[in-house]
Amino acid sequence: MEQPVQTETWRARSLEELVRILHQIFAEDKVSVEEVQALMESYESNPEEWLQYAKFDQYRYTRNLVDNGNGKFNLMILCWGEGHGSSIHDHTDSHCFMKILQGNLKETLFEWPEKKGNGEMTKKSERVLRENQCAYINDSIGLHRVENISHTEPAVSLHLYSPPFDTCNTFDQRTGHKHKVTMTFYSQFGERTVCVSTRRDALH
Amino acid sequence: LPAGLSQWFPALEVLDVSGTGLAEMGTELLSLPCLHTLLAKNNRLGGPGSLPKGLGQAPLARSLRVLNLSGNRFNEVPPALLQLRGLRSLSLGGNRLHGIPPDIQELHSLEFLYLGGNFITAIPPELAKLPSLRYLVLCDNKIQSIPPQLAQLHSLRSLSLHNNLLTYLPREILNLVHLEELSLRGNPLVVRFVRDLTYNPPSLQELAGRTVKTRNVPYAPSDLPESLVRYLSLASNCPNPKCGGVYFDSCVRQIKFVDFCGKYRLPLMHYLCSPECSSPFSSASQSSTSQSESDSEDEASVAAHRMQKVLLG
Repeated sequence: MEQPVQTETWRARSLEELVRILHQIFAEDKVSVEEVQALMESYESNPEEWLQYAKFDQYRYTRNLVDNGNGKFNLMILCWGEGHGSSIHDHTDSHCFMKILQGNLKETLFEWPEKKGNGEMTKKSERVLRENQCAYINDSIGLHRVENISHTEPAVSLHLYSPPFDTCNTFDQRTGHKHKVTMTFYSQFGERTVCVSTRRDALH
Repeated sequence: LPAGLSQWFPALEVLDVSGTGLAEMGTELLSLPCLHTLLAKNNRLGGPGSLPKGLGQAPLARSLRVLNLSGNRFNEVPPALLQLRGLRSLSLGGNRLHGIPPDIQELHSLEFLYLGGNFITAIPPELAKLPSLRYLVLCDNKIQSIPPQLAQLHSLRSLSLHNNLLTYLPREILNLVHLEELSLRGNPLVVRFVRDLTYNPPSLQELAGRTVKTRNVPYAPSDLPESLVRYLSLASNCPNPKCGGVYFDSCVRQIKFVDFCGKYRLPLMHYLCSPECSSPFSSASQSSTSQSESDSEDEASVAAHRMQKVLLG
């Protein structure tokens, strides 16, 4: 196994710096999950730096693209109103990092349903992620549901997906049945995206 | 609230006193003529003096559009609040409410109502009288059933019911033509067919009410006590297409499963006005191909197309 070039841990002192270092890391052939997670955690959330991307919707959580990583990754900010949550979903063979910028998010992990599953899905674990914590998941770890369980505070999270993907599967907790959905962006680079189609499958 | 607030800031439009430990908001509020947004979440409000007396006569009653009282200690919706006729957005999330007062219908302009995270056990049918309601959040409560009258909320776009005690939904939920999102996870929705439930014969009031409605007996508010006028407005139509009847409280109830895009099977409670009406629906077999079964499938596929996000899973 190759030794990483940097032996000291990354520290991002601003969102801009975080993006810059991410570009640097992903320019390499090999990227270490631990390195990215540590980098994401090192950034101390400063609302002034991300407020322009944090566009809330009254009815559901929003996905707001911050950087498209030269095609290697997508960095986006998700805004969760009180009570907003996602369905149970997978990550289309990609890596998913999720860092809390404001508030708290509850993550519930689920086992993949059986092939011909026809029963309640199995919950593996759940936890509440605090500000600046960064979680990681991929399909081999399992599926998850993310939700803002607060009835008083909105939540904001920073997500990195590599490679980028725009479809995934959502799962019915009661039956394990899955359904493919396409995800859309509520805004890109701080600009509100106008919806072209009437069907919005913006789940994650 | 500091005394003299309205003298220093007579043009105040937005007041945020969240997280200040406030136990009551006094008469200073009554002299703020331009206030449209009041945020007082995460305080110690909930006792008798929480809202000042005379709220209904203050300029606030017409000017206030947004009120956020989430994260306080209200165990009932304060009656004074219902005098805020101009209110568009109300949040009482994370309090200690055990119910919703029928007089909630007084908040005629309400578009956004957040009541998640309380101890609410039932929904009054009067909630359906809010003509502009677009977003209704009732998640994380103890609700056991949804009144069929809720289908009268024609403007409703999003209904959040997750984490409650629902075992079925009223079939009328399919009538909510603008509903785009419905969250139902964390409810003990029945998965197996349920036999017909007990039929309680209708009361004299119900029989009279049914006659007035089905025979179009004309009446005006001056003819009847207000309570009966309200009662008559809560009539529901029997879904049996061969019957033109209505019912109020007495009905036969039968659960049928309705498919949504072949993905989810929702147990919908069909309220029928009498045992005679239940004969088109075969109670014995789930795979019956009677007319009523295909009616249900048609209306389900139409509803499913509309309802883009039935968040069961």
